[in-house]
Amino acid sequence: MESTKKYWKGLEEVNNTPEFAEHAKNEFAEPIPVDELLQGSGLNSVAPRRDFLKAMGFGLGAVSLAACNVAPVQKSIPYLVKPEEVTPGVPNYYASSYKGGAIIVKTREGRPIKIEGNPACPINRGGTDSQAQASVLDLYDNSKLKGPLKGGAEYSWDDVDTYVKRGLAKAQAAGKTIALVSSTINSPSTKAVIAEFSTQYPATKHVTYDAISYSGIIKANEQSFGKAVLPQYRFDKANVIVSFGADFLGSWISPTQFSTQYASNRNIASLNNKKMSRHIQFESGLSLTGSNADSRVAIKLSEEGPALLSLYAEVSGASVSGASLNNQPANAAIKLAAKELLAAKGAALVVSGSNSVAVQTTVNAINSLLGSYGNTIDLDNPSYQYAGKDEDFTLLLTDMNAGRVGAVMFLDANPAYSHPLAKEFTEALKKVDLSISFADRPDETASLCKVIAPNHHYLEAWGDENALEGYYTLVQPTINPIFNTRQAEVSLLTWANYPNQDYYAFVRSNWEKTVLAATGKKWDDVLQSGIISLPAKTGGAYAFTGSVDAGTVAKESAALAKDIELHIYQSVSIGSGAQANNPLLQEVPDPVSKVTWDNYAAINPKFAESLGLKQFDVVAIKTDKYSVELPVLHQPGQAQGTISVAVGYGRTKSGKVGDGVGKNVYPFITYTQGNAHFANTVTVSNTGGYEELAQTQTHHTIEGRNVIRETTFADYKKDPAHGSGNHGEKHPTYDLWNKYDQPGHNWVMAIDLNACTGCGACIVACNVENNVPVVGKDEVRRRREMHWLRIDRYYTFNEEGKAITEEHELEGTKGNMENVSVVHQPMLCQHCEHAPCETVCPVLATVHSTEGLNHMAYNRCVGTRYCANNCPYKVRRFNWFNYWNDSRFDNYLNNEFTQLVLNPDVTTRFRGVMEKCSMCIQRIQAGKLEAKMEKRALVDGDIKMACQQACASNAIIFGDANDPNSEVSKALKNERTYYVLEELNVQPGVGYMTKVTNTGSQEA
Amino acid sequence: MSSHNESILREPLITGKDITYKRITDEVLLPVENKPNKAWWIGFIVSALGACLWVFAVSYTFWNGIGAWGLNKTVGWAWDITGFVWWVGIGHAGTLISAVLLLFRQNWRNSINRSAEAMTIFAVICAATYVVSHMGRPWLAYWPLPLPNQFGSIWVNFNSPLVWDVFAISTYFTVSLVFWYVGLLPDIATIRDRATGLKRRIYSVLSFGWNGSVKTWQRFETVCLILAGIATPLVLSVHTIVSMDFATSVIPGWHTTIFPPYFVAGAIFSGFAMVQTLLLVTRKVLGLENYITMFHIESMNKIIVLTGSIVGVAYLSEFFIAWYSGVEYEQYTFLQRFVGPYWWAGCMMYGCNVLMPQLLWFKKIRTNIAISWCLSIVVNIGMWFERFVIIVNSLFRDYVPSSWAMFYPTWIDISVFIGSIGLFFTLFLLFIRVLPSVAMAEVRLLVKTSSEQSKKKLIEEGKVKKEEADYYIDSLSTYDSVDQADYVKL
Repeated sequence: MESTKKYWKGLEEVNNTPEFAEHAKNEFAEPIPVDELLQGSGLNSVAPRRDFLKAMGFGLGAVSLAACNVAPVQKSIPYLVKPEEVTPGVPNYYASSYKGGAIIVKTREGRPIKIEGNPACPINRGGTDSQAQASVLDLYDNSKLKGPLKGGAEYSWDDVDTYVKRGLAKAQAAGKTIALVSSTINSPSTKAVIAEFSTQYPATKHVTYDAISYSGIIKANEQSFGKAVLPQYRFDKANVIVSFGADFLGSWISPTQFSTQYASNRNIASLNNKKMSRHIQFESGLSLTGSNADSRVAIKLSEEGPALLSLYAEVSGASVSGASLNNQPANAAIKLAAKELLAAKGAALVVSGSNSVAVQTTVNAINSLLGSYGNTIDLDNPSYQYAGKDEDFTLLLTDMNAGRVGAVMFLDANPAYSHPLAKEFTEALKKVDLSISFADRPDETASLCKVIAPNHHYLEAWGDENALEGYYTLVQPTINPIFNTRQAEVSLLTWANYPNQDYYAFVRSNWEKTVLAATGKKWDDVLQSGIISLPAKTGGAYAFTGSVDAGTVAKESAALAKDIELHIYQSVSIGSGAQANNPLLQEVPDPVSKVTWDNYAAINPKFAESLGLKQFDVVAIKTDKYSVELPVLHQPGQAQGTISVAVGYGRTKSGKVGDGVGKNVYPFITYTQGNAHFANTVTVSNTGGYEELAQTQTHHTIEGRNVIRETTFADYKKDPAHGSGNHGEKHPTYDLWNKYDQPGHNWVMAIDLNACTGCGACIVACNVENNVPVVGKDEVRRRREMHWLRIDRYYTFNEEGKAITEEHELEGTKGNMENVSVVHQPMLCQHCEHAPCETVCPVLATVHSTEGLNHMAYNRCVGTRYCANNCPYKVRRFNWFNYWNDSRFDNYLNNEFTQLVLNPDVTTRFRGVMEKCSMCIQRIQAGKLEAKMEKRALVDGDIKMACQQACASNAIIFGDANDPNSEVSKALKNERTYYVLEELNVQPGVGYMTKVTNTGSQEA
Repeated sequence: MSSHNESILREPLITGKDITYKRITDEVLLPVENKPNKAWWIGFIVSALGACLWVFAVSYTFWNGIGAWGLNKTVGWAWDITGFVWWVGIGHAGTLISAVLLLFRQNWRNSINRSAEAMTIFAVICAATYVVSHMGRPWLAYWPLPLPNQFGSIWVNFNSPLVWDVFAISTYFTVSLVFWYVGLLPDIATIRDRATGLKRRIYSVLSFGWNGSVKTWQRFETVCLILAGIATPLVLSVHTIVSMDFATSVIPGWHTTIFPPYFVAGAIFSGFAMVQTLLLVTRKVLGLENYITMFHIESMNKIIVLTGSIVGVAYLSEFFIAWYSGVEYEQYTFLQRFVGPYWWAGCMMYGCNVLMPQLLWFKKIRTNIAISWCLSIVVNIGMWFERFVIIVNSLFRDYVPSSWAMFYPTWIDISVFIGSIGLFFTLFLLFIRVLPSVAMAEVRLLVKTSSEQSKKKLIEEGKVKKEEADYYIDSLSTYDSVDQADYVKL
C-alpha cells in the first residue's frame, strides 16, 4: 500500500512561505558559503569552535586514511584451482635420484625444500652426503642463466635451434667431428638420446671426461681380468681393509655407499656381536678415511708405490724388485697388514686411490691373492658411476687443434676449469666453429662457447640413472622449470629432428622397452618407488691375468721424490668443484681441518717449521708451468715432505658465492700413461703474505678431558664398558630441582662415536631443515658460524710411545707429528634435563618441555646471551646480524630465489635472538599429528631427525626414552654409553657411545 | 663551649685561616656562580666528544646488531659486561661514604660525600646503558621487568640472576638518587638565596621550599639517617647480586661461592679509587684544598689498601680452591690467567689490584698527591682488567675444547667503552657547574670543632698539653694546605 501520509518538517512547510518554496529547490536549505570560505575572508576569519572541531575531525580522518594507504603488498596468491595433490601445509614426497643414488624429494606447495635418501636404495640405504643435501639449493641459485645465450646475449630457443642446426649440418657436411663432451653418463635414456642424435649426425663422437678420473682402475681391470669396469667394492664384507690413499669414506667413487658398508662392521649391532672390521690406511694427507682408520701410517706419495710393492711381496711371498721402503714405521705396518690380510683371506680388501694403471694392477694382484674377487670386490655387478677415459679427451684436444672438429657440445663438463690442460683447451676451442654448452650458468667453459643452452636442474627434469649393474633409478621433476631452461636431452632431440621431443614420453617408452620389460613392473610403480633393482649377477671366477709391473710402479713413485711432493685431493663437501657456488657446501667445515670457504696448503707442522712457514703464511706453490698462492695450514698427520691441496676451488665463473674462493690446482695434475695423476712435485716459497683461514675449530686436542671416551676392540671384547667410565657406583648427585613427571614422551638421542665418520652430511641436512643461515667467510673467521650441529674433531698425538692429548705436552716432544689418531664427535644441544641455559634466561625464552626438550621461544628472546655463556657444550648460536634481511648476506641464502628453499615449518630468526638445535621439533609435531590423524599411537621410527636421516652410517638414533623397546632406549642401555660432562649433573638427553679402535694384532 | 672541643690529637678536617660560613659558601659556589674557566671548557669539550663517540658507537650497534662487536659463539660477553660491572663497582664508594660512614659518624665524609654520590649516580647511569646496549633486541629492554602484559601474562624468570640484577640496579639507582638529592636540599637553598632572576626561580623549585627552620633541619637529618639505613644494605647487595650473574653459572672461573664478598670488596676498592681520581683533580682545579685535605686523601688511601688487600686474599682463595677442588676445568681456567693467551690481562689484574696498592702502606706514598693519583688510576685500570679476566678468560676456554675461541675487540667495542667514560665526565662536569661539589651545609658543621683554625686557637689559648700540641703540629706536616711557618712561633 502506498503511503499517502505526509509529514511536515516545520511550520514553514505547512505555511509554504515563498522563502521556503525558493529554498526547497536547493539541496541545502541555506547556501553553503564555499566561495566565501575559499576566498579571503573565510580563511582569515577566526575559526569558531564548531569549525575547529570539524576541521580537526576531517584532518584526523584524512590522516588516518592516508596512514592506511601504505599497507604492504602481499604477493602470495591462493590457488585459483587447487591442484588435487597439493594441500598448503602438507608436504608431498617424490622419488628421484641424485648421482645414481635413490632419493626422496620433499616439496611444500610445489617447492622442493629437502632431499632425503631413499631407504630402499640398495647402495646408499637412505644415507646422503652433504652434496646431495645441498643440491636442493642449487635449484634456486640465482647465478644461473635465466634463458639461452648466444654470444653472451639473450636469445630465444627457436633462434638457438635454427642456429645450432645450421651449424651441425655444416659440420656434418664438412666431414668434421661433432663432439659431445660429457662427464660420465650412466643414464640409459640419455644414452638413447645420444644414440638418436648420432643417427642424425653420424659424425658425432661422445667423449666422456671426468674431472676426477678413475680411468686407471678401469684400465687395470681390463688388463688384469679382461673387464674394463669400475668394480663394486664391498666394504661391508671386508674384515680387514687396507687403503693406500683412497678416501673411500670422503670422496672416492661412492663415499655414501662405502660409509654405509663400512659402518655396518663397526656399529652397535656389529660390536654387540663382538665383530669389528680392521682398517689400515697408508696416505700422505690426513683424509676423512684416514681419520677413521684403526691404524694410519703417513707415507709420502713417492713411497706409495714401494709400499704397495712390499705388500705384494709380503702377501705373495715372492721377492719383488723395488719393494724396498725407506720408512721404518711404514715397513713394519706393511708386514703387519700383510699378516692380517692373509689371516682374513676372502674377507680382505686392498684399495688404492691412485689413478695409475700399474699401481691399480698391483692392487688387483694383491686382491686376487687374497681371494677378494667374488667376495669384497664384485666385477660382475660393476659400478657405472665413473666411466671417463682420460685419453679420449686428449685425443679430442688434438683433433680440435687440427681443425677436425666442427662442433663441440659440453654436458656437465667444464674442462676449461677442471682439466689440467685448460689453457690449451681454451685455445683449441677457438678453432671450433660451433661450441655449445648445456651448463646452467656461464661457467668457465660455457662462457667460451658460442651458445649456452642451459639445462634443467635435476629437480626440474625427467631422467634416469644406472649407477650399478642392474640398479636403475628414475629422476622425476618436482617443480616447473624456474628459469627459461630446457633439458639438454630435449635440445639434442630437437637438433636431431626427433619426432617427439617430449622427454617424459621418451624416458617412459625407453623404460617400458628395457628395464620394465625385464622386470614386469609398471611405470606407475617406478614413479612411486623410484627404483628398479634387478637380481645381482652371480660371480664368475676371475683369475688375475695381468702382470705386476714393478718397474713402472717404482718409476712413477720415484718421479715424485723430488722437491716437495704435492698431493691433490678432493675435499669432502666441495668435491670436484661442480657445486662450488653452493654456500651451504662452502660453509660446511672440512671434516679434518675444520676449514671453511677455502682450500689451503696442508703441511705437517714439523715440516713447516723446517721450511720456516708459520700457520696462515701465504706460500707460492710452483711448478715450471703453473703456480698458485695459498695460505698454509699446519696439518698434523700429514707426511713430511708433502703438501696436500684440494681441487674444486678457485672457480672464476661459478657465480657470486663460489667465485674467488680458494685457488684452482687442477693444472697441477700430471699424466702418466695417459691417465690423470693427482700428484706432482712442486717448490714452495713464502710470499710474506698472511691470510687467516676461516676455521670452525681452532683448538685441536681434548686436553685430557673425558668429553671423549675411547677403548680398543681388544679391551672391549673383555669388557664392553671399558673406557666408558661406567664402572662401579656413580657418585650420588643432589640437585635443587623439582622432579617432574614426563608421562608422554621423553625425546632423547644416542650417538655412536664408532659409527660416525665425521663426514658432515648431517650438518647440511640440519641447515636445510632448520633454515640455518650461512654467514660467510669473514663471519666464520670471527667464530660466528650458525651451525646447530657441529662435529668436533680431536687429535691425539702418538709420540714417543705416549698418547698426547694436551697441547702443552706437545711442545717438548721431538716426534714428527705424523702419527695422530682422530675422533669425531657430533655436538648439538644436549637438551639437558637440568639445563643451565634455562635458569639464567631473565625472560623465560628458553624453557623445558614435558617431553624432555629444551625449547627456544625466539619471540621472547631479548638477546642477553647469558644462556650461551652458561652452556657447557657451547651449542647455542646468536644472530649477530639480521641474516635474512641484510644486504651483506645476500650472496648466501638471503635473496628472492634462494629464500624459496626455506622450510616453511621453521621460522627464520631475527637479529639479536638466540637459536640452537630444537630436536627438529617441527618433525616431532608432524609425526604426532600424522599418528593422530591415523588414530594410532606414535611408533618408534615415525619421527626422524634431519641429521639422523642424512647419516649414511646411522650413527645418530633418536627416539622416546619412555618406550623401553625403542631403538634409542636400547642404544642408551648399551655398556658403551656415556654422557658428555655428566659430572655437572645437567643430565643431558644425548648419550654417546665410546669410540672403539681395532688395533688388530698390532702391539699396543 | 670549651668542653665540646674535639681532641687536639685528631687531625683537622678543614684547613685555612679565617674560615667562615660565608667563606665556605663563597669558595664552594665559585664554579656554580661564575662563568666556567678554560680548564673546565677543555675538560668539557673532550668529555662531550667522548659522549658523542658513545652515542655514535651505540647507535651503530643498534642499527647493525651486536655483530658490530667482537663477540663470538663462545665469548658472549666481553667488553660490554666488563664495562657494566666496572661502572657498577665504581658507583659503590658513593653509597659507602654517604650511608655507612654517616652511620659511623665519620665526619671526614662531609667534604667528599657529595662528589662521591654524584659519581655513583653517573657511574650507575653508565652501567645501565651497557645493560640496554648489550641486548640483542634493545627495544625490548623492558621485558626483563615483571610488568603486567598481554602476552598471556608471561612472567619473568625469578630464578635468573639477571632479573635480580634488574631489581638490584634499579633500587640502587633510585635510593642513591634520592639520598643525593635530599642531601642537596640545604645547599640548593643556599644557591637560591644568593641567586637572582630565572636562576633563583629554578633553584627555588629545586629546593623544595627549604626555609632553614629548625623543624626543617630536624626533618632533614632524620630523613638522612633513615635513608642511610636503607642504603647501607645496598652497599652489600648490589655487587653481591652482580657477582651472582657469574657465581650461579656453571662456567669454571664463574662458579665460585667467594664471589659476593670478593666483588663487594672489589667494588669499594674501585669506587674509592675513582673518588680519589676525581677529587684530587677537582680539589686542585676548584681550589678546594682547605676542604679536601691530606687527611681525606690519606683516609681514602687507607681504605684502598685495605680493600685491595681483601681482594688480594680473595684472589689467593680462588687459586687455593681451584687447586683443592681437584676440578680439572677450574684448575685449567685459573692457570690460563697466567699461562694462557690472556696472561697479560691476568698480570694487569694481579699487578694493579694487589701489588701496586701495597705501596700505600707507606705514609710517604699515602700523602703524596701525585703518586696517590697515579695509584688510583692504576687501580681503576686493574679493576677493569679484573672483570675482563673473570668474564673473558673464563668463557674463552671452558669445558669443550672444540669451542675454545679468542675474543678480539672491534673499534666499536672500544668506542663504546671510551664513550662511556666521556659520558661519565660530561655528566660530572655539568654537575660541578650547577650544583655544589662539596656539601656546604655539612662542611659548615665542622668549622667550629674540626677545623685547623679552631684547633690552632686552642693551642694559642694554651688549652691543650704541650706534647699533644706538638703531636698535632707534627701531623700537619704532610698537609699541603697548611703553612708550617704559622706554627713555628707557637
